[in-house]
Amino acid sequence: MEELEIRGLRPGEEGQMDALLEREGLQRDGWLDYSAGAFDGGELVAAGSCAGNTLRCLAVDSRRRGEGILSRLVRHLIEVQYQRGNYHLFLYTKGAAAPQFEDLGFHEIARDGQRAVFLENRKTGFSDYLQSLQKETPAAPAAPQGAIVMNANPFTLGHQYLAEKAAAACGTLHLFVVSEDLSVFPAADRMELVKAGTAHLSNVVYHRTDSYLISRATFPSYFLKDGDQAALAQAQLDGAVFARIAGALGITLRFLGTEPTSHVTALYNQALAEVLPPAGVECRVLPRRELAEGPISASVVRQALKDGDWALAKRLVPPSTAAYLHSEKGQRVVTQLREMEQVNHH
Amino acid sequence: MEIKHGAMAGTLESSDIMVTVLPSSDGIQIDLTSSVEQYYGDSIRETITKTLEELGVSSARVEAVDHGALDCTIQARLTTAVRRAAKEEVAK
Repeated sequence: MEELEIRGLRPGEEGQMDALLEREGLQRDGWLDYSAGAFDGGELVAAGSCAGNTLRCLAVDSRRRGEGILSRLVRHLIEVQYQRGNYHLFLYTKGAAAPQFEDLGFHEIARDGQRAVFLENRKTGFSDYLQSLQKETPAAPAAPQGAIVMNANPFTLGHQYLAEKAAAACGTLHLFVVSEDLSVFPAADRMELVKAGTAHLSNVVYHRTDSYLISRATFPSYFLKDGDQAALAQAQLDGAVFARIAGALGITLRFLGTEPTSHVTALYNQALAEVLPPAGVECRVLPRRELAEGPISASVVRQALKDGDWALAKRLVPPSTAAYLHSEKGQRVVTQLREMEQVNHH
Repeated sequence: MEIKHGAMAGTLESSDIMVTVLPSSDGIQIDLTSSVEQYYGDSIRETITKTLEELGVSSARVEAVDHGALDCTIQARLTTAVRRAAKEEVAK
């Protein structure tokens, strides 16, 4: 047998990867930033990719399984990630494939039945994260404990309303702010805005989501072909991770805001309402606060900022967010928004 | 030796061990995943600890994925990873 060559794909070889993925029932993820393959002669017999701190779209030709090709490919991808400074890696896979990745040093974080398993390469990664959440929480949290997960891109009166309603309904409210830096407002700024906009609430504890909730690592759009199915699978896996966090902290209530203009949010809410109650977490959907112009949402604020409609933007955010938008940091983001083609992404 | 940045050595293949060495502010921490953990886990951890001692490493996080490597392989892989991790970072 000729020696396999493991290397990055060259321009023009993506077609071979797509064909291999399709044969193995996977779909190429849209966000890949590096792809590699195992070549036997000129033939691609396995492929795998990176996106941010994740490994993705891993497939071995079904005729070439059992030769240890996957382990060599994964080793190559890990090396590439390390060179980029990404030491803590994530992947998700079908339930049946999880043991193979466990053999390669990945550890299960959570699973959604047999459909999808979410894994990381750090043995104590998730348990360390849970411990940090417990440390951030006061020693005797008041029951019932509730939670909101928000991106707050940027923090609006809608988020404030949701936080106030939720805080009034529970003893301790855990407010998780999405850490993934894929939104136009930087994660650190979003956290500051959330803290400033909820400073009047005395029973709120703040947490980062790191890579564990609503992150690039939990977006499984590749092994389910349909767009809605992919979003639903993501939400279910995200719900399974949240259920573990809720269990560790004693959270029994999850508050969700409606987003009338976002189909994905509707799917997300629907999935969580299915996944969480069996895990002992009640889901409460709170209707979005509305003004005469319509519901308040962060995407409307971003559009207003892009259009230079300060008057509208200011009506939709608390004074703390307005002050930030006028600051040097805020102005930098507004300039970026103006240069963007469209602002409707999360 | 001081661990300045993350580095790795070894492979995920049979009879080998893949070792990652990362900076730590918390002494020595070893995360081992091994196909023979039940029988040789303690012995592998001991080899890692001893090798780090010999190399003069007092703070590091070591993540090892073992597929039945011999002691000499473990020492060699770990030594390589530590040397790489102790080198000044190459300009990117």
